[in-house]
Amino acid sequence: MPANLGMAQLSNAFLVAALLCYSLAVLAFAGDFAFGRRRGAAAGTQARARVPELVGVGAADGSIAGDAATDGLPAPDSATGDGPANPRSVSKSVEPGTKPGRWVQAALAAVMVGLVAHVLGVITRGLAVHRIPWGDMYEFVTALTCVAVIFFLGLMIRYKAYYLGLFVMGAVVVALGLAQTVIYTAAGPVVPALQSYWLSIHVTAITLAVGTYFVAAVLGVVYLFAERHARRVAAGRPTGSDGIMRRLPAPEVIDSLAYRTVMFAFPIWTFGIIAGAIWADQAWGRYWGWDPTETWAFITWVVYACFLHARATVGWRGRKAQVVQLIGFCCLLFNMVGVSLFITGLHSYAGLN
Amino acid sequence: MTELRTPDTAQPAEGQPSEGAPPVRKTRQSRAGVTYPRLGLVGWLRWSWRQLTSMRTALILLFLLAVASVPGSFIPQQGVNASAVQQYYVTHPALAPWLNRLGLFNVFAAPWFAAIYLLLFLSLAGCVVPRTIRLARTARALPPPAPRNLARLPSSARLETTLSPDQALAAATTMLSRRRFRMRSSDDWVSAEKGHRREAGNLLFHLALLGVLVSIGLGGVFGYKANRLLVEGNTFADTVTNLDVYHPGRLVSPGDLAPFTMTLNRFNASYVTTGIDRGQPAAFNAQVSYSSKPGAPTRGYDLQVNHPLVVDGVRVFLIGHGFAPVFRITDGAGQVVFNQPVPFIAAETSTYTSEGVIKVPDARPQQLGFIGVFLPTTVSEDGRLESVFPAALNPMVSLVSYAGNLGLDSGVPQSVYQLNTAAMHRLPISPQPLAPGQSIKLPNGDGTLTFTGYRQWISLAITYDPGQMPALLSAIAALAGLLLSFFVRRRRVFVRARAAGDGRTIVHIGGLARSDASGGFETEFAELTQKLRSSLTQKEGE
Ligand code: HEM
Repeated sequence: MPANLGMAQLSNAFLVAALLCYSLAVLAFAGDFAFGRRRGAAAGTQARARVPELVGVGAADGSIAGDAATDGLPAPDSATGDGPANPRSVSKSVEPGTKPGRWVQAALAAVMVGLVAHVLGVITRGLAVHRIPWGDMYEFVTALTCVAVIFFLGLMIRYKAYYLGLFVMGAVVVALGLAQTVIYTAAGPVVPALQSYWLSIHVTAITLAVGTYFVAAVLGVVYLFAERHARRVAAGRPTGSDGIMRRLPAPEVIDSLAYRTVMFAFPIWTFGIIAGAIWADQAWGRYWGWDPTETWAFITWVVYACFLHARATVGWRGRKAQVVQLIGFCCLLFNMVGVSLFITGLHSYAGLN
Repeated sequence: MTELRTPDTAQPAEGQPSEGAPPVRKTRQSRAGVTYPRLGLVGWLRWSWRQLTSMRTALILLFLLAVASVPGSFIPQQGVNASAVQQYYVTHPALAPWLNRLGLFNVFAAPWFAAIYLLLFLSLAGCVVPRTIRLARTARALPPPAPRNLARLPSSARLETTLSPDQALAAATTMLSRRRFRMRSSDDWVSAEKGHRREAGNLLFHLALLGVLVSIGLGGVFGYKANRLLVEGNTFADTVTNLDVYHPGRLVSPGDLAPFTMTLNRFNASYVTTGIDRGQPAAFNAQVSYSSKPGAPTRGYDLQVNHPLVVDGVRVFLIGHGFAPVFRITDGAGQVVFNQPVPFIAAETSTYTSEGVIKVPDARPQQLGFIGVFLPTTVSEDGRLESVFPAALNPMVSLVSYAGNLGLDSGVPQSVYQLNTAAMHRLPISPQPLAPGQSIKLPNGDGTLTFTGYRQWISLAITYDPGQMPALLSAIAALAGLLLSFFVRRRRVFVRARAAGDGRTIVHIGGLARSDASGGFETEFAELTQKLRSSLTQKEGE
């Protein structure tokens, strides 16, 4: 069936609108950093000061309390209401601001309006091409940034991580902007090798996972800066970017968020690879053939598994682990961009041999 | 799993192995390698084993595995694209033999690659087996006694009730055991624990990875892969001599092949005809008939990409197609020495301009050979002919003709797609393209060639892999284990009750998540507290 060009145009219009809203949101988030209320600089260090107090409480089992305490994340919203009234709870002392300021509210509104346009843009693209709207690179990037925004909104609402807005939305604007300009592809059908529902399942899972990994990567980068800043402050050295850094929570919190984000993405990624193997099996008669794309999917998977292990290994937590996570994301990017550009394999979507 | 994670601030308690001291044996030495002045053989072995099964080694091996895979994506691989490897020998004559020696044309079967993953899986087994045993033991153990001061736990709350301490504890016990906590109680406290499924999930995940490896091995030993090109109207039988390419597993003998036969009746390729995607394939259908063994009834099947035919566990895939122009050749003696389709290979899929070779060893007085180009949709572009569409809308074939000795008797195997012109001379005929039905007359009375039409061919991949199902099941088990280990948390809840002296009872509830990577314990704890409060209130009313 030929593509519906009217729908395709509508889709483009929605996506441009989304890009516009997101850009406004980035401006508003930046405005919050510049003009918003500041939180106490000590909040981050307080969190760490609590840790030793908690250790050894679980007299029966020393490791218990320490383990819980190292996971210093702000509590999900629901726990702060009628929850246990324990003033010492790690989670609360980390929480920087209670309510979003006016700048953040404006930014949130822009993100939500943009998200509606983004989702409509993806849906109309699907209607234009009569299939799932993540079949080529342009559609894929459009869809994965949509996932990233949805995931990020969830994260922000659940953990009140408003400080992330500037970074995540900034990265989304760049990615979506690139999609609209450099890699834009007009609406069209896909070749027979790609017409399989396992393919739809596979690509859908991969899109979800990559959108989430995208957020984790931004968190990883923010962590590296926050951690460096914290070290410099601890060493008594002046830092240039104090204004921004003071508004970030303790590095441990960002680290934990990044970890949880990867934990969310990793099983979806694993499932996506399995679905891909099932599809490859139906299309080519082998579930794994070390095609370059498959090889890089494997590498990416192993590197993220390294990240998950690194966190459980002394001497690897924190900075090194996050670097591993970022290497994983680079592998992901290379697989999406590099492999189809530099190396040709079955996955170059040429159809039959 | 938590056992291996040393908290940032706390020293691991005894029996909680830290880095370098794996859980196999309880030892006080933490950084192995530093505190062993003299080691006997046994000590050495034990030390090596401990190193191998440590988390850091696993991490490094995992990393190595990733790094070792990288060349496999940049250097052409024998198993993926054998002709690209040949090409590499031509373009890098000095480098290629070295890469070959290092196994870099076959990375995933190279000994050094195997060494990494075998070490990794050994490490995995050495890590997972003791943990499984430990889990089996602790799964039956009681939770620890409640700490004295519950208010100091990460989550805690204080309630008051008019019930007696015993009644309050009974209510707590009912509430917690209804939620399937494992319970332990004493006079003035109860303690409850839940979430061993987390560790079980982690173990399941790692064991399932071993399962995937074993399944892949199974396929490599008992499975086979083959390829076969089939022209419309032709039939083939699945026997070793009938296959173009045949890769048996280590323990597969020719007699193990499924004895089916298959005929290609018709092949149809359809393409997008308008718009910017003009020429892009839309659908491929191959109508075949097959019989599962000699004498069995013949059935029809519509073979498509993504829709393999399954016969006796063997699967047949449509993986490629092309054109086979049909030629009739009469030699100088007036004999029809050749009358058959010749599969041509598409150099390029967007126009299906295809190339092929015709060899006529029976022609007299001289053997004949032709190199041809088939253009499915021919148009003339500035006097040059070219194909502009992949379907055969205006097929033409253009030939260069040779006569002489084909060199087939020299004993050196020849490809059917290459003409050895060393002992031949080119015939002086203009390479005038032929439409179906047209002929060329060879000079010197060497004969006539007629392009009578064309047929299509398909290429088939025939695979049998007994490891496939086990691999899928292992992968599903791995995924399930992963989800359990990520989203189940291991947590403990304690309740203490004591009489305040004025007829009221103070109830403290405290809890902590031992491993709560995905978060959410606080919410659960708030719920438990709420439930306890309401069940106390309810009991008071009775
Ligand atoms: C074949 C290579 C391996 C892969 C792909 C792999 C993958 C993973 C993944 C994805 C996780 C996170 C899931 C979870 O937390 O349950 C994990 C956790 C874990 N793995 Fe592995 N693993 C491998 C080998 C090993 C080895 C050799 C060991 C033992 C030395 C090991 C010990 C652990 C432990 C203890 C955890 C829990 C870490 C934590 O508490 O965060 N793994 N593994």
